[in-house]
Amino acid sequence: MARQIYQAIVDGILVGGVYALMAVGLTLIFGVLDIINIAQGVLVILGAYLSYTLSVRIHLDLFLGLLITVPAMFVIGVVIQWAFIRRLRGRERTSMTLLVTYAVALIIEGILYEIYGPNPKQLNASYVQSSVHVFGFYLSYIYLYGFALALVLVAAIYALLYRTGFGRSVRATMQHETAARLIGIDVNRVAALTFGVGVAVTAAGGMMFGATNSFNPNSGYDLISRLLAIVILGGLGSIGGALVASVFMLTLESLVTIWSPEWAIVVFYAALVVVLVIRPTGFFGRQPVRAQ
Amino acid sequence: MRPHPPWLSRHYLALSAAAILSACLVAACSSSGSSSTGTTNTSSPTNTKPIVIGASLSLTGDFSADGQAFERGYKLWASDVNSSGGLLGRQVQLKILNDNSSPTQAQTNYQTLFSSDKVDLAFGPFSSLLTTPSASVAARYGYALVEGAGGAPTVFNSPANQSAHNIFDVSLPIEDELIPFVNWVASLPPGQRPKTAAYPMADDPFADPPVQLAQQKLQALGVKTVYSKIFPAENASYKPAADQVANTGAQAVLLGSTDVPTVSAFMQAFEQQHYNPKMFICAAGPDQGASFTSAVGKANATGMMVPNGWYPGYANPASQKMVNEYVAKYGGSPSDVNADVAEAYSVGQVMAQAVTATKGTDNPKIITYLHSGVTISTVQGPVRFDNFGKNSSAAAFTFQWQQQGTAFKQVLPVSAAGSVSIINPKPNWTS
Amino acid sequence: MSAVTGSMSRQRAATGLALIVLAVAAIAFPLVFGSPVVTNYAIYALIFVAVVTAWNMFSGFSGYISLGQAVFFGSGAYAVGIAAKAWHINGVAVFALLPLAAAVGAVIAVPFGLIALRVRRHTFIVITIAVFFIFQLMAFNFSFTGGSVGVSAPFLPWSPTTFNDRFYYITLACAVVAIVMAVLVRRSRFGLQLRAIRDDEDRARGLGVRTMRVKLVAFVLSATVAGLVGGVWFLYLTQVQPQSGFDPLFDLSLVLMAFLGGLGTISGPIIGALIIEPGQLYLTIRYTNGYLSEILLGALFLLIVIFVPRGIVPTAGEWLRRLRTRGRPAVAPVQTSPRAETRA
Repeated sequence: MARQIYQAIVDGILVGGVYALMAVGLTLIFGVLDIINIAQGVLVILGAYLSYTLSVRIHLDLFLGLLITVPAMFVIGVVIQWAFIRRLRGRERTSMTLLVTYAVALIIEGILYEIYGPNPKQLNASYVQSSVHVFGFYLSYIYLYGFALALVLVAAIYALLYRTGFGRSVRATMQHETAARLIGIDVNRVAALTFGVGVAVTAAGGMMFGATNSFNPNSGYDLISRLLAIVILGGLGSIGGALVASVFMLTLESLVTIWSPEWAIVVFYAALVVVLVIRPTGFFGRQPVRAQ
Repeated sequence: MRPHPPWLSRHYLALSAAAILSACLVAACSSSGSSSTGTTNTSSPTNTKPIVIGASLSLTGDFSADGQAFERGYKLWASDVNSSGGLLGRQVQLKILNDNSSPTQAQTNYQTLFSSDKVDLAFGPFSSLLTTPSASVAARYGYALVEGAGGAPTVFNSPANQSAHNIFDVSLPIEDELIPFVNWVASLPPGQRPKTAAYPMADDPFADPPVQLAQQKLQALGVKTVYSKIFPAENASYKPAADQVANTGAQAVLLGSTDVPTVSAFMQAFEQQHYNPKMFICAAGPDQGASFTSAVGKANATGMMVPNGWYPGYANPASQKMVNEYVAKYGGSPSDVNADVAEAYSVGQVMAQAVTATKGTDNPKIITYLHSGVTISTVQGPVRFDNFGKNSSAAAFTFQWQQQGTAFKQVLPVSAAGSVSIINPKPNWTS
Repeated sequence: MSAVTGSMSRQRAATGLALIVLAVAAIAFPLVFGSPVVTNYAIYALIFVAVVTAWNMFSGFSGYISLGQAVFFGSGAYAVGIAAKAWHINGVAVFALLPLAAAVGAVIAVPFGLIALRVRRHTFIVITIAVFFIFQLMAFNFSFTGGSVGVSAPFLPWSPTTFNDRFYYITLACAVVAIVMAVLVRRSRFGLQLRAIRDDEDRARGLGVRTMRVKLVAFVLSATVAGLVGGVWFLYLTQVQPQSGFDPLFDLSLVLMAFLGGLGTISGPIIGALIIEPGQLYLTIRYTNGYLSEILLGALFLLIVIFVPRGIVPTAGEWLRRLRTRGRPAVAPVQTSPRAETRA
């Protein structure tokens, strides 16, 4: 029994790392642009397919392939924001962004179906199946690498936010958009670039997801609901919060799986509701500024 | 400013817009049914109009991979029938609508097919989830629904079928799928039977009944159940459940799966955990041909077992012909042919025999004929319907991947014609 | 003065006449267009008209976008199914269970609302999503809901035309109930309080509006209708399963329909539902191949949001206003005539 619990905790932490990679982009977008990006799930899948194509066509290693997919997704993110999201304003902005991001998700999903078909794919590499034997447990390499990647990327984004001028602009915009504009920050540019960064990180999340799961264009929907829950729990805009929330939620789910896998996901969402009732801004979120 | 005339106010506009919309709706829908029947022969006095068969298939959405395979099966059957003269001298024409894996759309499609297109006959959709609402529509309109992919008990127990007896499932009823496996385990000397077994099941009406039945019977044989849980049918849930199973060290695993991703996720978790069950059988997944082997790797596919009513190597002339035609048309190799294709083809064959025997397309007569205890031979073997449309003659076979994942062979029942020796125990995973 | 009231009463008379014409047309619809295919489209359209109007009554007026309407819809459907099975109700008597469906919707909305309405905006949206998934998963997990198999409705052995016609009138009645409720809410002080909450909740509270109570009442009313319609839908489709009763795309469709027509108006969501639901069903039949339809659908949404951002009804209203007032000054020049206009 104890062994099962340890296994579950280890599983939760490792899988949590993968989810953190996917959630970090979402929370960044949330924090700066103040929108719910429903397309995030499909963007993860898009990242997975890009990694798949590189891996299958030119036999590039999955992690090396990130050097190509991450910038590519950055550009895609900037384009999406600039073309569709930038112009959404007004009282109905919340529902408009819901619809626009949903529309973008539909279009990307349709394109992926056309190109790749409905049959599920998975990313393969020598280290996907193999594992290292530690303290009587088998820890698979891909999850370890993925967790490390998550830490690296989170640290990188922290550095971006707290050590660069751009990062300062981003934080200022997150705190108070009008004030940021008043002191001369080009909010539109910040928004576009932040969206790009958020989507770029998703490329890494996509690669990890694709390496640890079978996926087809439809897989984005299951993901987005979990990612939304994680991001809200961690606190909108909080990068560290996304990491902590991912690990927490997935570990909780993994532990409950010992008794009942069916109820484990319910616990996921129920935990979200409980935490939000106690602390509406999530773990590390800040109090919302009055609507501007 | 002059007061404006009343018909320019916003409310009036809205109301008239609603009325105009309804009219457009009607106009659009009335014109939707105009396309169907196609060419008609003008010359001979006997009926030579094409027989139109309608079906709703999941060409997009959750079930799209299977829906598309079904479409290929239906079309292959239709072209074979037509090239040998048609049914009763009439050409067969298929009208297939996409239901996007949605029950609402499937129901709308069948209403359109029956009422607007006035098709002669109906084939079923893919999956038990869509078959039940479609059957209600068919019952109301008086059509027989011959199908190959709705075998869950709920289909046969649905109120519509209990009342109208119009569902006919040509494929193996799913509950009995794992019985050959259970019988084989029972036939082993007690020392060679697995001592422990795990039964993870995806939450799906297709996956659970066979595994649960097998669990009951194996328990009665003395195989200890060390894991029996239902997990949600979504990606993130597979690894934790699979790791739990791996931790039990069970000697046999009976996985209630519905698709390849579930199986591949479990296999991957088992490989990572260096857990090697001696027997591993899945409700579905390994029967998907190339989709399966490319997902899990050919080497690791070896030894994996799956029940089914059919496989590409089935020694039945009609089946072989179908396989060859499929490969000629769509490429790939015989092992790649999806079982869905055979199911769809069998649906066509059953309907063809019913039409020929009743000398027409009268649905009530076809329903009576199919319930009369007649046995029809199809590419999946013999078909004989019981009172609720279940195929009581369906042969349950179990298949296994052998020869480094290049050959999909029939292994059970041991005594059945065409069975080769089973690989037991399953070889360890190769990394 | 008299000219103004004269034009107002003339307008009211015209509106009343239009309503009567519309009512007659709606009632006569199945008699004129008897084909079950057409009434099928109409039934689904009316189902959505009812649900969207109810949804808009809460979300459109208050500004709290809820993606959890399916919770009530699905619960209503399951309530009817489970009750029919447990109490062995068959035949026409199942329709007597519809009030139960409405009640179930209302009862669920109370705790749901008390929890969810404490948070705002994005957090509110995500809580509604979370509760939605909790309900879908409960439907999968509990045995009394039938698990993944779901629940079937008793078979009603009516002819196709009769079956569809009867359901048409039932769904029409539901839609009318929803519309009447929405109109009453909008015209009342309660509706004004709701809209005050949308505009600025803190200020509304400062002015004495009992915001939690107002929001909760609107939420429960909206849920009651959704539950009722869910029960009707279940009886029509004759089956409910976790994925169909609790369908995430259902909620997004509601937002789209309301948005297309104009959030916060009454007629807007109606028009949105009438366009989108039959349109989607019909287009899937027409363009039966490939995933192109998905891409087109997404592109269509984008066009709608970009070009008709405030919805059809408000945008059309604005065009009309421009039409009416073209060439005339916005402010009437100063006159000493006693017949100076007081409204534009």
